[in-house]
Amino acid sequence: MTTPSFRSLEETVRATHGPPGPAYFVALGIAGAAAAFGGWSYSLIVREGLHWTGLERPGMWGNLITDFVFWVGIAHSGTLISAVLFLFRARFRTAIYRVAEMMTVFAVLTAGLYPILHLGRPWFAYWLFPYPNQRELWVNFRSPLVWDVFAISTYLTVSTIFLFVGVAPDAAALRDRAQGWRKRLYTLLAFGWRGTDEQWRHYTRAYLFFAAFATPLVISVHSVVSWDFAVSVLPGWHSTLFPPYFVAGAILSGVAMVITILVPLRRAFHLEEIITQHHFDMLSRLVLLTSAIVTYSYVTEILLAFQGPPHDPERSTFVYRMTGAYAPVFWLMVTCNCVGPTLLYFKAVRGRAWALLTICVLVNVGMWLERFNIVVTSLAHDRLPFDWRVYVPSWVEWAMTFGAFGWFFFLLLIGLKLIPPVSIAEMKEDLAHHADAAGAGMDHDA
Amino acid sequence: MSDDRRGLGRRTFLKAAAVASAAAGCSPKAATQKLIPYLIPPDEGVPGTPLFYRTVCRECPAGCGVTARTREGRAVKLEGNPEDPIGRGALCARGQASLQALYHPDRFKGPMRRGPGGKLAPITWDEAEDSLGQALVAARAKGPGHVRLLSRSEPGSAGALQKAFLRSLGAREEDRVVLEPFDPAPLRAAGEVLFGRAELPVLDLAAARTVVAFGADFLETWISPVEYARQFASGRGRVGEERTRLTWVGPRLSLTGASADGWLRARAGGELAVALGLLRWLTDPKNAVPDLAPEARALFARVEPLQAADLAARAGVTWAEVERLARELARRRPSALLGPGPASQGTRATQLAGVVLLVNLVLGNLGRTVLYGLDPREDVPSSFQEVEGLLAAMSAGKVDVLLVAHADPAGALPAALGPEAALGKVPLVVSFASRPDATTDRAHLVLPDHHTLETFGDAVPRRGVVNTAQPVMTPLADTRSASQVLLEVAGKLPIEAAHFQWSDFYDYVQARAEPYAAAALGTVPDLALAQRDAQQRGGWWFDAARERVTPSLTLAAAGAFLSLPPAPVSGGAQLDLAVFPTALRGDGRGADLPWLREIPDALSSVSWSPWLEVSPATAARLGVRSGDLLAVSTTAGRVELPAYVYPGIRDDAVGLPLGGPEALSLLPNAKDGSGAFAFASATATVARAGKRVRLPLLEGSPYQHGRAITQTVSATAPAARRPDLSHVMYAEPKHPEHRWAMAIDLDRCTGCQACVVACFAENNVPVMGAEAAVQGRYMGWLRIERYLGDEPGGALDVQLLPMLCQQCTNAPCEPVCPVYATYHTAEGLNAQVYNRCVGTRYCSNNCPYKVRTFNWRDAKFPQPLQMQLNPDVTVRSRGVMEKCTFCVQRIRYGENQARDERRPVADGEITPACVQSCPAQAMVFGDANDPSSRVSRLAREPRGFRALEEVNAQPAITYLARVKEPEQP
Repeated sequence: MTTPSFRSLEETVRATHGPPGPAYFVALGIAGAAAAFGGWSYSLIVREGLHWTGLERPGMWGNLITDFVFWVGIAHSGTLISAVLFLFRARFRTAIYRVAEMMTVFAVLTAGLYPILHLGRPWFAYWLFPYPNQRELWVNFRSPLVWDVFAISTYLTVSTIFLFVGVAPDAAALRDRAQGWRKRLYTLLAFGWRGTDEQWRHYTRAYLFFAAFATPLVISVHSVVSWDFAVSVLPGWHSTLFPPYFVAGAILSGVAMVITILVPLRRAFHLEEIITQHHFDMLSRLVLLTSAIVTYSYVTEILLAFQGPPHDPERSTFVYRMTGAYAPVFWLMVTCNCVGPTLLYFKAVRGRAWALLTICVLVNVGMWLERFNIVVTSLAHDRLPFDWRVYVPSWVEWAMTFGAFGWFFFLLLIGLKLIPPVSIAEMKEDLAHHADAAGAGMDHDA
Repeated sequence: MSDDRRGLGRRTFLKAAAVASAAAGCSPKAATQKLIPYLIPPDEGVPGTPLFYRTVCRECPAGCGVTARTREGRAVKLEGNPEDPIGRGALCARGQASLQALYHPDRFKGPMRRGPGGKLAPITWDEAEDSLGQALVAARAKGPGHVRLLSRSEPGSAGALQKAFLRSLGAREEDRVVLEPFDPAPLRAAGEVLFGRAELPVLDLAAARTVVAFGADFLETWISPVEYARQFASGRGRVGEERTRLTWVGPRLSLTGASADGWLRARAGGELAVALGLLRWLTDPKNAVPDLAPEARALFARVEPLQAADLAARAGVTWAEVERLARELARRRPSALLGPGPASQGTRATQLAGVVLLVNLVLGNLGRTVLYGLDPREDVPSSFQEVEGLLAAMSAGKVDVLLVAHADPAGALPAALGPEAALGKVPLVVSFASRPDATTDRAHLVLPDHHTLETFGDAVPRRGVVNTAQPVMTPLADTRSASQVLLEVAGKLPIEAAHFQWSDFYDYVQARAEPYAAAALGTVPDLALAQRDAQQRGGWWFDAARERVTPSLTLAAAGAFLSLPPAPVSGGAQLDLAVFPTALRGDGRGADLPWLREIPDALSSVSWSPWLEVSPATAARLGVRSGDLLAVSTTAGRVELPAYVYPGIRDDAVGLPLGGPEALSLLPNAKDGSGAFAFASATATVARAGKRVRLPLLEGSPYQHGRAITQTVSATAPAARRPDLSHVMYAEPKHPEHRWAMAIDLDRCTGCQACVVACFAENNVPVMGAEAAVQGRYMGWLRIERYLGDEPGGALDVQLLPMLCQQCTNAPCEPVCPVYATYHTAEGLNAQVYNRCVGTRYCSNNCPYKVRTFNWRDAKFPQPLQMQLNPDVTVRSRGVMEKCTFCVQRIRYGENQARDERRPVADGEITPACVQSCPAQAMVFGDANDPSSRVSRLAREPRGFRALEEVNAQPAITYLARVKEPEQP
């Protein structure tokens, strides 16, 4: 591995902001079209009601809530990589955390939409916020949906601040050499950064503080999301296992999404020198670890359910998941989330970008199916057999599901062209540490 | 003035304001908005306060009394008349739904004549009556028989006037034909043969300890279902010997059979052999049955030659089963054997009716549970033979004018009789129908009659009961009472005899009331006053017990009934076509009423579609599942119908509901000895049609999957199982004043769905249509959950569970709502605030009973159906959750009444719509805070259990377990 110099590092990163090629516009066009079609499909629901979905009693939640949980999960590993690994001084995070953070912010922006989109009367979504009003109406703090409102809005706020704080020194570096609207944009994002000692001192303190502040959110936000299900009385939802299970699943899907983004990104932006095999290796191990935790959770859940008497509704729900109408979903989920990642035990697999990419894309498919499996099968097979019904998502719901991916990648593609995808300042710091440790002289003029 | 710079001066402003407000006042929208549709309101009408009118239901010949609730001049709900001896305050599903016939969007707006282009075009009433008069005069000149009248049974003034009208035209008695497709004519015929009384017996099932129904669906459509359900239920809901037992005999387990304690799976037509077997066993001196009627010995001599094995083979059951039923009848007295009903009315229906009556006679039931002498014989329906005669005359061109009054020959007669072709041969078909049917499609003159709720009238369902009808609101359109039209037409005829002394039908009704008034009141100083009083109460009711007779048997005549029925011919590819009536479809006259189409059948849970019931074995043989199309062929026709796999039907039969064109096109023209139509006579071949439809089914799984959702108790184990819920973690909600609660007796519930229609009417529950039903988006707040057994393939065990909001104390729906749209009231209700609901639908997900419905789209109430909407209840918009409220508006009404009168609310004073309508009185509502209230006492019964009690939601509804006594050998 050749060690880049300060100058080449900055040049490499700056190059990512160069004029985009046709491939970029094709990708942007596809993502934008998917988002737009999803948005138009949703307008049907706004105009005529949720009968455009495949929802019915007892399955009142379906694809849209699955999307919500999925995207909240994606959002998690960004904070894990940028904050938790920062606190743990895991150096390999430096090259990749910016992409992960951007992914977090855009994923939360996606996730936050879906609870609103799935409402019967989305124009009253603001009623879920506790705001003083002359009708003296208040929200119900006992409802997990209100907890969600706080969890998601807190998470969006913190992850956005964290992103912008990290971006400030890089924005200053870009500002100094940019022209036109980019100059104005980076001036804004640099928050008056001039690189003084005092600013650095405050900055490192603030960064540490935000990292410490964001870390509990990694655990709490997805725990809160899991309570949407866990505090209910529905067999298949009502489980104390859910918070750790959801957090592990969130990290699994998030890390897999980071790899899914980084592999093509590294190629497209020629970041091979910065994002190295070592980074993929470390991320793969994270996937492997969280996949093991998720697998353990599946097994625990099933074993616990089978502790019940033969006709226990909970036990019946788990049998139904494995053998009923949704059995393909369950077994595909197991294949993607439990079987697929075990291949990462092999270094040869971890070392091949295409293999890694395939496994990680499949993990994301599997994690989406996991949420579908939890949300839908439990509802479809609740306590009164007379009401059992199989929910099949309508094309509108699929359009909105794919629209979420379009929306996310649209934001990401634009973000990559505006925000440096690798932290220049921290990479330089790392290089300096590296150089100090190696005792070799370095070119400090950048 | 020099203040031009000031712009708008005071005068200018006032002028502009005046012009603007005048313009606003003139806008067409403002002009047509009417909140209260009166020009001059009646004195007793207070906006916001309901007015009640007593009238009568004419949806079937039972003639139940009705209380119509009106608000601001519109009828909004029909309930039973509590003073009426037939319904006693209850009204069946079809009776309640007749309100939608009043507001049906397709109703004719006025008289119409078919023009040269073949289209019906509006005319004036004068033109219509004149042209009818001219046609009548011309037809009369050709001699009797050229003017014919086809009517539904009108046991009252309307029928009497029709007869008088025809008589004045010189018509013969038989020129008026009365069409009632489900009329139990064989029972009349058998009564005539055996006792010389061509009457329908009146039943007193409350006195019967065992009821055996030979295909007589007395809890659904048979004769007087509301009354019989009430009588039958009075003997239910108790454990032990005193409980009324019911045995159903027939190839298909009907909804009535679902209430039965035993099902004798006789093959189609095998009911007769069962009845003969019972007669033989009971009269056999070897069995030493005590207290038999003296005729028993003579009868035994006649039935002795019948061999048990032959009878059992013809019945399709084992002799041991017949013997067991006979033993029960011998032991439990009195009993009542009922039959035949449409489901068992085959080519030997009169014989079946005769044998059933003989068993009743032998057991001493005549005069105790089966009463003769009370049939008023006011307007006895014609036999199918007579109907056929009319059709033949029509086809032969011998009928010039056919008056059709609330009968639909083209739509209600089997296609095999060829009613449409016959109608085509009549030069002038005059229909009095209110809305389009198959006959009005071929009518030349349509003179739309008022709805029953818009007119005066009366009905005499039995001796001693005269239920009166009165208009409860102004007619909606330019319709005219058919009786009034007859009076007016008669007055214009150049025939002296037709000039009646009455010019108004009301006068005629009043004149005919004189004997009733005399019977009810003794002396009548002022008939008009007495009549008004009777109308206020809903009828004339007087004791007719002295009319009762104990009929004496003509033994020689009985012999004709005691022959061995022929061996069945079906077999091989031929399956018996078991047609059956249902409580919602009836004879099909309400087939276009939205509620009756939307509400799923209680047994199959199918709505909006006919279906063909096949047994699991037949389904496996044909390789079909529910929803696969089956081609059914009989000698009369071929129809494709979606299959419904139903374990409650014999393997050698398929079931098809009556009340639609499918059954009528499949039934061959067959009659029994008395000339009654033989519904149960067809065999059919059934084959896969290769297509599949999405059948609108409410049920998910019809099995309980070992979850013990419903419970049963028996004399040996009289208490329901309850989980231990003594551990309490949080303080429970307090209900300081009232805690509204309900008890539902599953031993009484018959699944008749009257409660469901009542709920639709009371709470503005929308009808969403077939597509929504397919998607599982049925909006009913109350549904009948029907379980067929414990596990698929296991024993058939039909259990009904009316499922509505349980108004839980620890309601799982409440804490999960983020905006408090659902919350717990101080009276224990789980309130739902529609305009606060944002539609997260979490409440439904967390509801263990799944009794919340979501408005997936805006409901439509096509005009003028919106006039039926209850102004006390919000019409919900799309995107909000809705649910049963225990009819909170009725609770408030009752509480306010009590408060105004400065008294506490009395127990039983407040009833939600479902409780009010229940014919079996299976539902009881009241205050659980009052330990002496009926509901509290029922909740303490050992039979009491709660649905999914282990969830610990603490529902306010206590179900009383169905009683299931093990069958005695």
